[in-house]
Amino acid sequence: MPAEELELIQRSLNGDLEAWGEIVSRYKQAVFAVALSILRNYADAEDAAQDAFIRAYENLSKYDLSRRFSTWMFTVAANVAKNALRKRRRQRDPPLPEVEEDPAEEAHGDLRLAAVRQAVAELPEVYRAPVVLRYWHGLPLEEIGQVLGLPVGTVKTRLHRARALIRTKLLEQGVIHDAVG
Amino acid sequence: MRWDEVDELLRAALSQEVEEGAKRLLGLEERVIQALAQRPVRRGLGCRIREFLSRPTPRWALAGALAALLLGFALGRLTVPSSIPQWSPNLFVVAAPGARAVAVVGDFSAWQPLPLSDPDGDGIWTASIPLPPGRYEYAFLVDGKWVGQDPLAEEYLRTFGEYVSVRYIGGDRAGSSS
Repeated sequence: MPAEELELIQRSLNGDLEAWGEIVSRYKQAVFAVALSILRNYADAEDAAQDAFIRAYENLSKYDLSRRFSTWMFTVAANVAKNALRKRRRQRDPPLPEVEEDPAEEAHGDLRLAAVRQAVAELPEVYRAPVVLRYWHGLPLEEIGQVLGLPVGTVKTRLHRARALIRTKLLEQGVIHDAVG
Repeated sequence: MRWDEVDELLRAALSQEVEEGAKRLLGLEERVIQALAQRPVRRGLGCRIREFLSRPTPRWALAGALAALLLGFALGRLTVPSSIPQWSPNLFVVAAPGARAVAVVGDFSAWQPLPLSDPDGDGIWTASIPLPPGRYEYAFLVDGKWVGQDPLAEEYLRTFGEYVSVRYIGGDRAGSSS
């Protein structure tokens, strides 16, 4: 862990909220991405990110300084998002709106990117979260397992299945013709 | 298009999705800080128990006294700590928990300190000084600090700007006055 970040965490442990604000600033986009991968809704992901930073601060004394802070922070975020998802399901909310499409995207002619986005958006949550952690965060499989509370073998399986589902979608749409997965 | 290209597109698609939503994160730092600042400090049970025990509130003192009384009645008698010797006019007693040195000074010692002791470390310092009947003025020194008002004294005097205690041994107050 960088010394500067360690100092911010130690100051936060001593109740320095400004130091914690700096941590939020550094990790907010990554935490938001974790929450979005599970909740698939911008507003819910925003709420979950905020809640995750609050919970992480309140439980900061439980953080093991020998571990990577990002892994611990993403684990908190994933747990908060999963709880929010369960709550949302219990409340039987109406179907979630799709993640907003960029109207300029098609105008730019990048249909392939739009197709991949759509394929990812349609992935079940159990596959989507590992995909985001792997491809957006670039986490190794072991850390993905820690964040999601899954054995590494399960992470590998889900990533393979996710790729297979995306491949099928892209083949159906004619975006790809011969992809070896 | 091959899979490595798809992987690149996958990364690009996810980045685009997150970046589109990232505008919602403007000011998140302030919102988190504000929410945390408004929350009451949450402490563990152990912390709260320690805090309660360390607080010298009358409530706690009363609770302790009541518990001791109940225990005394439950045992059929009220017990007195064995470290306090039986009262006698020759006994000098000071409750000074945490003190390092306690002494008594008086006219019987030409105002030279005579040490009190607390062998069992319960904070009750005692000394039994055999004195013939008479009137005695004295005070205690607790870690060098003058303590002139002994609760067991019969009188107090104020000399040189300080209190001193007066004790009569032999019960003859009129006859023993000097």
